[in-house]
Amino acid sequence: MPSGSKDRAELLPGTLDLIVLRALSTMGPQHAYALAARIEQVADHPLTLNQGSLYPALVRLEHRGWIKGDWRRTENNREAKYYAITRPGSRALAAETQRWRRLSGLVDKLLLDER
Amino acid sequence: MKATVRRWLCRIGNFLRPARAEDELSRELASHLGLLEDEFRRRGMPEGQARRAAAVALGGLEQAKELHRAERSFLWLEELRRDASHGLRLLRRNPITAATATLSLAIGIGADASVFTVANALLFRTPTGVREPERLVDIGVGRPDGGFNPGSYPTYLDIRRRAVTLDGVYAHPMFPQALSLAVAGASATSERVFGQFVTTNYFAVLGTTASSGRLFAPADGEQPGASPIIVLSDRFWRRRFGGDAAVIGSAIRVNGRPFTVIGVAQEGFQGTGVLGPDLWLPLNMIAVVNSQDRAIFEARAAGWLVMGGRLKRDSPLARAAAELDVIGRDLRRAHSDQINTRELRVLPWSSVPGNRRRVGAFAVLLMALVSLVLLVACANVAGVLLARGAARRREMAVRLSIGASRARLVRQLLVETIVLFLLGGTAGVALARAMTSLVVARLPPLPFPISVPLALDGRVLAFTIGLSLIAALAFGLAPALQASRPDTVAALKDESGAPGRGRLRQAFVLAQVAASVALVVVAGLFTRALERAGSMDPGFDPHGIELVSLNVSMAGYSDTTGPRFWRDLVDRVRELPGVQDATVARVLPGGFEGIGLGLSPAGGRSGGVTDSFEPDGNIIEPGYFATLRIPLLAGRDFTAADRAGAQPVAIVGDAVARHFWPGQNALGKYLSQPGNKRSLLVVGVARDIKSSSLVDGLSDSFVYLPLPQQYASHLTAQMTIAARTNPGQPATDAIRALVASMNPNLPIVTSQTLEDSVALGLVPQRVAASVSGSLGLVGLLLAAIGIYGVTALTVARRTREFGIRIALGAERRDVLRMVLRQGLGLIAGGCAVGLSLGAGAGHVLSGFLFGVPPLDPAVFAAAAASSVAVGLAACYGPARRATRVDPMSALRCE
Repeated sequence: MPSGSKDRAELLPGTLDLIVLRALSTMGPQHAYALAARIEQVADHPLTLNQGSLYPALVRLEHRGWIKGDWRRTENNREAKYYAITRPGSRALAAETQRWRRLSGLVDKLLLDER
Repeated sequence: MKATVRRWLCRIGNFLRPARAEDELSRELASHLGLLEDEFRRRGMPEGQARRAAAVALGGLEQAKELHRAERSFLWLEELRRDASHGLRLLRRNPITAATATLSLAIGIGADASVFTVANALLFRTPTGVREPERLVDIGVGRPDGGFNPGSYPTYLDIRRRAVTLDGVYAHPMFPQALSLAVAGASATSERVFGQFVTTNYFAVLGTTASSGRLFAPADGEQPGASPIIVLSDRFWRRRFGGDAAVIGSAIRVNGRPFTVIGVAQEGFQGTGVLGPDLWLPLNMIAVVNSQDRAIFEARAAGWLVMGGRLKRDSPLARAAAELDVIGRDLRRAHSDQINTRELRVLPWSSVPGNRRRVGAFAVLLMALVSLVLLVACANVAGVLLARGAARRREMAVRLSIGASRARLVRQLLVETIVLFLLGGTAGVALARAMTSLVVARLPPLPFPISVPLALDGRVLAFTIGLSLIAALAFGLAPALQASRPDTVAALKDESGAPGRGRLRQAFVLAQVAASVALVVVAGLFTRALERAGSMDPGFDPHGIELVSLNVSMAGYSDTTGPRFWRDLVDRVRELPGVQDATVARVLPGGFEGIGLGLSPAGGRSGGVTDSFEPDGNIIEPGYFATLRIPLLAGRDFTAADRAGAQPVAIVGDAVARHFWPGQNALGKYLSQPGNKRSLLVVGVARDIKSSSLVDGLSDSFVYLPLPQQYASHLTAQMTIAARTNPGQPATDAIRALVASMNPNLPIVTSQTLEDSVALGLVPQRVAASVSGSLGLVGLLLAAIGIYGVTALTVARRTREFGIRIALGAERRDVLRMVLRQGLGLIAGGCAVGLSLGAGAGHVLSGFLFGVPPLDPAVFAAAAASSVAVGLAACYGPARRATRVDPMSALRCE
């Protein structure tokens, strides 16, 4: 890990997918820029999210059929690809959220016990 | 699960259509930038600044794209594709190098592919229209070399009745027979066709279907003469009848006998062999068609049937072999008076029944020869790759220093090499097509319809692609490792170090010289062998003899009218202008073996004689020995007095006489012939001739019998007129006209000169000599290019050294000698390896060499001399350049 980034939260592998799904599920269809902005805003703590690394996650989710993208116009009349969560995506989000809760609860407990 | 599958499908789709995904991504990133820019502008930044800030905020565009590519497709495949297209670009940039490399690879790979095409057709091809060919077997009478000979009809019946490991056993004569065909109603002329007689279960055992009408079935009966029906081959049906279905059920005449066409076999079906007949007839009709005695179906001694069968599903080949062995022993015990059969043998089916091993050995030999050329070509290309690697060291070093892994570089270089080799392979396949059709076109005419489908099938393609890939890896890896060596600092400073590269290149050149010298040696040995075969006394004089073959059963001659016709014909041929002498014989020297007559000395063989010796038989008219100029060592030729009914007589070859009656006078001795109640009196001894076995240089010893006493349509319907003519006065046309005037329904089967016919026996040597000779030349040429390249490189690298030497007072002559010495060292090394390879090859080939010693000094000296001459010529240019080095400029240049 590069020095000086200790106060920045590194994303655990796989969590970006979950975050994206969650954002789309609560905010409705979004383009990649809005998603990136939203994630930075919500995190309230600077996430080391290279804007570029959002795209592979979108590809992955789209390939799995969990999100679906289509081109639309923004309010500023620029064209952008809007991603929306699909029905299998919602199901996956529910399952993933549950899994994540269990996992983080477990890790929390272990960390507490260690102390 | 479903999501995973979906994802894979998408990735594959994106790999196949990369442009679409790439466009979409670019569009999306552009939109992202635009949105960022809007945002910054909204915060009050001026236009230009907003754009820059947006670019900074988004981060590395290319990096983002790369991440995206890795995610949406398969990174390694993408890279492979990029390396391949990079390789193609490099080739386009150096068209001359690319063309020479591709051409030399095409020659090497093409030669291998054409040998493989032929071997594939003869040895591995699955026969068309045959069900489960892996369960088919060939059955025959064992020969000492592991192959086998045909068997008799009673033997066939016994096998079929007794074998429980086989689902069915069929039989047919070895070769299709020339027949005359007349279509009812059409013009009265008859035409020559090739028909194969088969047992009526033939199609059923092979599992063939009819494309039209029906095929023979076991229900068609086996009684001689019972089933006058015919099945046409699809090809003949289309060629002769234009694919007209109305011909099925119609009446035609074969050799004047009425037959009904019942069907057409499946397209492409020609049994399991390489002979493609025009039509099939039931075996039980053979006596009718050939106007001969039915005795052929009872003669146990007459070996004329090739047999085959289908293994039962649960019986392995070994069990069938054991069973047939037992049957063979029983038969030999029960009929010891009639047969001296060796054991019955079962082999997996082959398109050359009983001769698979011989053909295979020849194919391996040719393959080894042509692979040497491939080796030379590959070594040459590897040399080019090394040179190119040297030129690209800076590029490699730069890439290494900015973080590319060495494995990545090696992979890229290998992919570039593979692209080159696949190009060579593709050109090679095209070349192979041209080469095989050229070879096929140059074969001497054969007396029966050989049809070897030399199609480009999957196996040939797989072989060629595999060969190209293996060669690319084998010869591309070392240059790739060499070029990507991480001596970054040296390369970036552009120091010409790396002595190892020079050594590798020298090793490649050495291999080239060695392989081409070995080829030249082999070519030389075969040429000497052909020379010797040409000058060798074959025991007869083939010059100026014309051969015309007829089959009198085509015009309905019988066992009584046949002999008279032949006698009449040969008498009239003798009267033709320009004809010095003429005769008629069953077999003539060259090409094919004599016939087996099962002869043995009357009263048993004398002690110490092995049981397996059976002389070749020939049936002739008087004048045979005079026409062919074969000296009679003792006794007399046949005369008109040796009629049917008179004392049966025979003339034996010298070796037969010595074998049967060692140390005694053969004249006056008797031979016994199976099926003949009277013994044959030996009235003459003829000198042995070298006949079919010009191939191995051994003598064939014949027993000659007179035609009138031996006439039997199955043996003697087809005979050959041999006429010795005056130079410049060919008689073939006159003989043709004479035959037509005697009987208009008697087409000529074949005509050729005896010299051509004898040449057929030398085809293997001729092919091997011309292949290895031309390949040796190509190899030497390639090796010369290699030597030139390596010498030029060393001279370039040592320019400074030469400059110093000359400045210090070295004579130009000394420099010249130095460079030449280095080149000569390479040549001498390669030569030594090549000569020992050649010696090994010569040893293996000694059976084909007519007694030319495998270490023939003239051949080896010539090969060494030619390689040294070529090598020196190749070194001379660079060496001259070395002597012209100007010391001042050489020292100044760095």
